Amino acid sequence: MPQNHALRLLRRHGVLVNLSINGKTHTLDDAAVDPDMPLLWALRDVLNLTGTKFGCGVAACGACTVHVDGQALRSCVTPLAAVAGKPVRTIEALGSAEQPHALQAAWVAHQVPQCGYCQSGMLMAAAALLAKNPNPGDADIDAAITNICRCGTYPRIREAIKSAAAVLRSGARPRARG
Amino acid sequence: MKRRTLIVSGLGTAAALVVGWGVLPPRARLGRAETLPGVDGEVGLNGWIKIGADGTVRLAMHRSEMGQGVHTALAMLVAEELDVPLASVRLIPAGPDKLYGNVAMFVAGLPFHPADSEPGAETRLVQGGQWVVAKVARELGINATGGSSSVADAWEVLRLAAATARAQLVGAASLHWKLPAAELRIDAGVISHASGARGHFGEFAKAAAATPPGSVSVKDAKDWTLIGTAAPRTDIAAKIDGSAVFGIDVRRPGMCHAVVRHCPMLGGSPGAVNVDKALQLPGVERVVRLGPVAGSTAALAVVGRSTWHALRGARALQVDWQAPPGGGIDSAAVLQALEDQARAAASAQGGFAFHSRGDMEQVARGAARGIERVYRAPYLAHAALEPINCTAQVSGVGAARRVEVWVPTQVPGSARALAAQVAGVDEGAVTVHVTYLGGGFGRRLDVDVVGQAVRVALETDGRAVQLVWPREEDMTHDFYRPAGAAVLQASLDGHGQPIALAITSAGDAITPRWLERALPAIAGPVDMPDKTVSEGLFDLPYGVPNQRIAHVATHSGVPVGFWRSVGHSHNAFFSESFIDELAVEAQQDPIAFRLGLLRDAPRHAAVLRLAADRSGWGRPVAAGRARGVALHESFGSIVAQVVEVSLVDGRPRVHRVVCAADIGTVVNPGIVAQQMEGAIMFGLGAALFGRIDIVASAVRQSNFTDYPVAKMIDTPRIETHLVASTRPPGGVGEPGTPPIAPALANALFVLTGKRLRELPLVL
Repeated sequence: MPQNHALRLLRRHGVLVNLSINGKTHTLDDAAVDPDMPLLWALRDVLNLTGTKFGCGVAACGACTVHVDGQALRSCVTPLAAVAGKPVRTIEALGSAEQPHALQAAWVAHQVPQCGYCQSGMLMAAAALLAKNPNPGDADIDAAITNICRCGTYPRIREAIKSAAAVLRSGARPRARG
Repeated sequence: MKRRTLIVSGLGTAAALVVGWGVLPPRARLGRAETLPGVDGEVGLNGWIKIGADGTVRLAMHRSEMGQGVHTALAMLVAEELDVPLASVRLIPAGPDKLYGNVAMFVAGLPFHPADSEPGAETRLVQGGQWVVAKVARELGINATGGSSSVADAWEVLRLAAATARAQLVGAASLHWKLPAAELRIDAGVISHASGARGHFGEFAKAAAATPPGSVSVKDAKDWTLIGTAAPRTDIAAKIDGSAVFGIDVRRPGMCHAVVRHCPMLGGSPGAVNVDKALQLPGVERVVRLGPVAGSTAALAVVGRSTWHALRGARALQVDWQAPPGGGIDSAAVLQALEDQARAAASAQGGFAFHSRGDMEQVARGAARGIERVYRAPYLAHAALEPINCTAQVSGVGAARRVEVWVPTQVPGSARALAAQVAGVDEGAVTVHVTYLGGGFGRRLDVDVVGQAVRVALETDGRAVQLVWPREEDMTHDFYRPAGAAVLQASLDGHGQPIALAITSAGDAITPRWLERALPAIAGPVDMPDKTVSEGLFDLPYGVPNQRIAHVATHSGVPVGFWRSVGHSHNAFFSESFIDELAVEAQQDPIAFRLGLLRDAPRHAAVLRLAADRSGWGRPVAAGRARGVALHESFGSIVAQVVEVSLVDGRPRVHRVVCAADIGTVVNPGIVAQQMEGAIMFGLGAALFGRIDIVASAVRQSNFTDYPVAKMIDTPRIETHLVASTRPPGGVGEPGTPPIAPALANALFVLTGKRLRELPLVL
């Protein structure tokens, strides 16, 4: 059977993928994945972490944005082999109900989401921006947030990023992990 | 026979044929408690509302949440009348009962001029037409979320359902305590009396179900505590932590994944297929042929262990794609043909006249001069961010066969009917679960993907299968916003004022094509005049005394569908750009010119004045910038927008949009502002970049890389200002889209002196 053939190939090369997702290590069944599989699909279809979204498959829309080593990265074009062993953070671990990320709190205050589909990617892109730049101006936001929102929540995202940045700068809230 | 008489008598005949007059009881849309069976101690009070044992309220949610905030807005209506906090209204799926059909959307589809259908002052013809269509719509019970109609449709129904439930609960408490109902008060779901008697809804629900409500009326507007407030949306928490479940997030035990690959040529089909390479890949299970279903192009589906395995398999298929019979479609040729047809009809008074008044011929002879312009608009894709998808599971055999479908859809009833048809079962054997929609914009009024998913599920041995369209399949196999062309002509008097207006447009009708796909049971053998082709042209508020507004309905063969704001999306560009041209001809300020034509349209004039006032119209604008304005009514709401634009590297950059609107009674001003912003961004992206090109029946654009949409860098500052109103609520999701393209084009004219008459706006 062709499937067994592929499995044999994988095993011969000794390929097992170790993923570190949201602080947990997953050794992925080599029958479920192979090193070419984009991280997005391992998250969504293997680990059932469906908060990270599929939008375009070509790194154009940003719905699949996650953090790898703290950097925003489009997981739909990132093969598992490239992230093996590196810390990956997804929307599910951006904050918690008890301790939301400052951006999540700002998203509520500014009533940002509409359909909500792009918002995981938007939040992850924004969190990576704030980790590097505590006081982003409009041009910084334009340059960093290249994600697509078809509902057009951009004006509120811009304001929410600025207000979350202000909260983080004031130290009113502990900076979330990242 | 006059045109309108024809339409109404046609509707009447259709109604009689479809349902028979005898089964049209004049009943309220309250529904019966049996429609909502209680579980775990819940008690149903009517077709909309159940009370839980703990006193919480459950609302049967019939409309789809696709970002427009409808789940919040409809729950607000109920919370208001029941005097409970918004958070204590829990939403439960409404199910397929006809009670949950949309009446307002179908009534709004009638091609009546707004001047004849002003609420409370409708002409008898309009009253008759609306009555018939409302009856038919109620009998058909088609549940559709679209046409910006959800709040308008639910406005009386849900408030009355909640007020009736409240009266029953209070009545039950009154009987129990032997205290006058008038002395009881409700606060946060607790009924109490000054004597100290207290009890929550759950304690009286059972008795309430047997208590007649008596005469019920809804709250007076002055007593509202929730309606009219910017209550936070109830769906935000799930949309910021990844927990909201969209269609593509549905997970079922043992499920498999499938990816579709259509014939690249619209209407074509797969000929010889070599599946060997695909099946040799690990994790690829099988390939299923998909015939055309509900308007789709024939395709192949590859089933695999994960979406990625299926994607890889789909890429590995070797297919000899067959072109559609009858020759290829070329969008450039279609657009040229539309222009030619519009020109021919304009010179021969041809096309179907949606509106005519006065005497065009006589006026034209007496006019000082005439002006004629041609405008064009391309096909557009919806490109909702959540790819088209559906999860389906078929279990059991023969009479025991059951179908379960999870789908982000705007039309669950159509999904159910199609699933039943494809699986060969009665509709009663099909359960449809409507998930959150990752954007709809009209695309999810079509259910082609449901037919495909159920077809694949027939082959997966009882396992659930999630069928996903890669972005390229969505971009190349959408139901596109139709291309359109229009000839706009005006006769001017000696002062440059228009005394006659003739608009002749051409383009495909959407509604008849959609009925064939989504509601085949009510699709007619011949196309009725479709209002959506001429909306935004025949229904203008301007007091030009002589008008003829006509449309030539065409059949391009391109699959066309409803795209946020539908006909208004391009017709507003045509009409509001042309009005701006007339202002230039009259050597008047664009707002002053419009106000001169709005003497009999005070609501429109008020909205325009508000936009002018808040935008600083008439005051100097920053160096290098120019302002433009547009005013447009759609879906029962009037919107004016003032745009400030400059050129950055030779391309338009919008800095600010001031949006003024009269949407009738405002249920939630926060959501209204959100929708105006979103509608503006949707229209702005289309105005700047949007075009779908078709060559030899194949769509050239394939992804966001070659079909750009608005992004953060394109985003202006947007301010929304609402006119206070006591009218019933109008639409909110769509009316913000139409004015942005003409407002921008009009601003670009001021800035550059160049009049752009084709979308997208390329300098």
